[in-house]
Amino acid sequence: MTRWQYILRRLGAGFLVWLSVLFAIFFLFQLLPGDPARLILGQRADPETIALLRKELGLDQPVFIQFLLYLNDLSPISIHENTEENRKKYNYLPLVRFDEWVLVVKVPYLRRSYHFRQPVSKLLLEALPNTVALAVSAMVIALAVALFLGSLSAITYGSWVDSLIVAFSTIGISVPSFFSGLVVAWLFGYVLADWTGLPMGGSLFEYEPGYGLTVHLENLVLPALTLGLRPAAILTQMTRSSMLDIMYEHFVLTGYAKGLSRGRVFFKYILRNALNPVVTVATGWFAALLTGAFFIEYIFSWKGVGLLAVQSLKTLDLPVIMGVALLASTIFVLINIAVDIIYGLLDPRVSYR
Amino acid sequence: MANGKKPILRVENLRVEFHTEDRRVVAVNDISFTLHEGESVGVVGESGSGKTVTALSILGLLPPVITRIPEKSHIWFASETLGEIDLLHTSPRILRQIRGGQISIVFQEPMTSLNPVFRCGEQVMEAILAHEPDVSKQEARERVLELFRRVGLDDAHRIFRSYPHQLSGGQKQRVMIAMALACTPKIVIADEPTTALDVTVQKKILELLRELQEEYNMALIFISHDLGVIAEIADRVLVMYRGDLVEDNDIYSIFHNPRHPYTRGLLACRPPLDVKLRSLPTLWDFMEVTPEGEIRAKTEKSVEEVLAERVIPREEVQRRVEHLVQQEPLLVVRDLKVYFPARRNLLGKPVAWFHAVDGVSFEVYPGETLGLVGESGSGKTTLSRAILRLIDPTDGTVLFDGKNVTAMEGSALRALRREMQIIFQDPYSSLNPRLTVGYAIEEPMRVHGLCSSSGECRDRAMELLEKVKLEPEHYYRYPHEFSGGQRQRICIARALAVQPRFIICDEAVSSLDVSVQAEILNLLNQLKEEYNLTYIFISHDLSVVKFMSDRIMVMYRGRIEEIGPSEEIYENPRSEYTRRLIEAIPRGERLYARP
Repeated sequence: MTRWQYILRRLGAGFLVWLSVLFAIFFLFQLLPGDPARLILGQRADPETIALLRKELGLDQPVFIQFLLYLNDLSPISIHENTEENRKKYNYLPLVRFDEWVLVVKVPYLRRSYHFRQPVSKLLLEALPNTVALAVSAMVIALAVALFLGSLSAITYGSWVDSLIVAFSTIGISVPSFFSGLVVAWLFGYVLADWTGLPMGGSLFEYEPGYGLTVHLENLVLPALTLGLRPAAILTQMTRSSMLDIMYEHFVLTGYAKGLSRGRVFFKYILRNALNPVVTVATGWFAALLTGAFFIEYIFSWKGVGLLAVQSLKTLDLPVIMGVALLASTIFVLINIAVDIIYGLLDPRVSYR
Repeated sequence: MANGKKPILRVENLRVEFHTEDRRVVAVNDISFTLHEGESVGVVGESGSGKTVTALSILGLLPPVITRIPEKSHIWFASETLGEIDLLHTSPRILRQIRGGQISIVFQEPMTSLNPVFRCGEQVMEAILAHEPDVSKQEARERVLELFRRVGLDDAHRIFRSYPHQLSGGQKQRVMIAMALACTPKIVIADEPTTALDVTVQKKILELLRELQEEYNMALIFISHDLGVIAEIADRVLVMYRGDLVEDNDIYSIFHNPRHPYTRGLLACRPPLDVKLRSLPTLWDFMEVTPEGEIRAKTEKSVEEVLAERVIPREEVQRRVEHLVQQEPLLVVRDLKVYFPARRNLLGKPVAWFHAVDGVSFEVYPGETLGLVGESGSGKTTLSRAILRLIDPTDGTVLFDGKNVTAMEGSALRALRREMQIIFQDPYSSLNPRLTVGYAIEEPMRVHGLCSSSGECRDRAMELLEKVKLEPEHYYRYPHEFSGGQRQRICIARALAVQPRFIICDEAVSSLDVSVQAEILNLLNQLKEEYNLTYIFISHDLSVVKFMSDRIMVMYRGRIEEIGPSEEIYENPRSEYTRRLIEAIPRGERLYARP
């Protein structure tokens, strides 16, 4: 099987994963207590208004029909009632008309948030850059730390340096992020705030009166450090053990026997081969971080996907929750395919089956 | 051989110790020898004898943290460009110039000796560029292609572009040899370069090394545990035993007039091809080691005399085979096929098949040993697993004692597992490292309800340990405390625990030293007599198979090439493939050509 066939098959499988995620979340949501219409309108709304809103949101329909309607909204090719209202709502391109119905192509419509009264896609697009920035910086920190400490630890195997690195990375792996987040925020954002000059919370993009949307790099430092802590610890240990395995391989000895310098053997023979498993695990972590770091974003009030998800769960904001889940599963599917491709590039022995 | 030739490498009082936290091991114990220009020296000894350590210490490749070499040890290398250098006491810069440039090495495992993520051509180029900075990449490339052609890789351009995993073991070893020759070194060290290869490939590699050695006038240090291979290539032999250099003599004297009892034992324990022996001589027929660690000869007899005592007369061998095949067969295999999917379509459905075993039929008679020979990839292992239903055959039937094995399910199959056992090649991975030896032996007995109380189980396990010539106290120990040969004994005890009638030995001695191999082979034969066992004995080594088997079956590409009584197959092979296999056995014919 060629690489492209393989990717095609994985995309197909990813589509199924994606559908089942949607299905699961949609129906699980029905088990939650509370009526979105009442939540939107408040406790004192009159029954008529509520009934009207329920009809508008499609909540009066059977659950399964609701799900199909949602899928119809999502699908890039769909059927809608041919009204001026719908045209505005979906912003579609009509293909075929029959009577009052129309087959259209459109950008997937994620509906509007009950709570924020805004399109879900707009909310996600606002949250995503924050999350991506956080995830990328956390991962860069983690990889830099892990490759350096992991190599150092492998080279000094058995010495006190090695033991120290192993001990610290074990602590890093075991500390939960809600705890490390609080400690870091308190220590560097509060106790040592005068010295570090870092705030306890805030996002990369913030609205400032008179300036509009501004970039705040200083807000990134603490959450990225905290978020990178665990992957850094895990990847350090992976780099170390992977290198220790490689170091005694025959081909490393061959490298020395050829008369190559220690540095060259280290980079081309040891590190290069030790990288394969590390990159795979790192990409998996990256995918997890991209879908939103709930605790870290909450603690540092970082307006990313994770914070958005927490808020919408509190307000039973189904369209947003579905939107976040959709985004998360899409990211996972794509990144997993990316891992396989990267792995194939790193290691020529990988074949696609 | 050394007459008139200049010494190029002088090893003086080389002593290598390894110090770890809890142990101190003397790997090489004060050895001295001299290597002359263009000379081919074989180093022979079992694993742990210090031969590889000696080789690595010449190139300064031993792990520095744990290695201790005393000041009085010297390895003088007469370099053309740098003058005489002590390799043990020189700067890393000089050592780098010598490594790969003037002294190079070919390792045992071609599978793991090349960097998996770079193309083969680049890896050889790297060696040239490291030593000759003036050479352009284009020139280096041309030289590599030329080298590849010289070492018999005719499709040089393709090999240049290939990654190591895309090549066969023999091709990889040729790439390694090309790499070693890249800078026309004065000395090439070959550390068991053919041990992992098939015999026919081994023969070609040995021929190539000899040719190249003469062509380039290199000195060759050839390390092997197998005197047969050494006989094919060496002018002089160093025999090492437990870190000591016990004999250093020219090849003719080593073979015709060995002085040290260890050398004699080593010569005798390789199964001979021309006669059939009752049992193989072992080291311990020739020597003993006193509690002080001193080696003492046990017998004054020559190797030939010891062998002659054990020969089974020709008629007896023939009568035995004739008698065996008149019985009802114990195992009948009919048209057995095992196919593996080779390619799949988009939906994962196989569209092409690899025929691992392709329509094989034969019988095994009670009390016989059927030898199964073939090179890697011939389908030997797949066949043995299909017989035991460790994998499901695609088609065909296997009848064991009249019962159809291929159709068995559930409890019937489990009951059958009691009667048929297997001993695997690698004693290191076939024992669970977290179970004690005793538990490993007991487990199958418990599963099949062969012992009731734990005391009874333990007694039986201890008894079995004694049967395979281990100590009952070993019951409480873990596998990592044992050597390869001892582990294989444990595996044998485990197979015997369920009182089987039929055992498949799948390359059971292939990873062992020749001297240990002889002991295990003798043990297998003794147990066979004692318990009335029937064996299928699988090996790529025809001499071992011939010693063990009543009849031999030759496999090639999933099919049976021929099957017949051992002596007949060996003396009058009908198939061309069998003939090539027999010719490829290293036995140092050139040594016997001289009166």
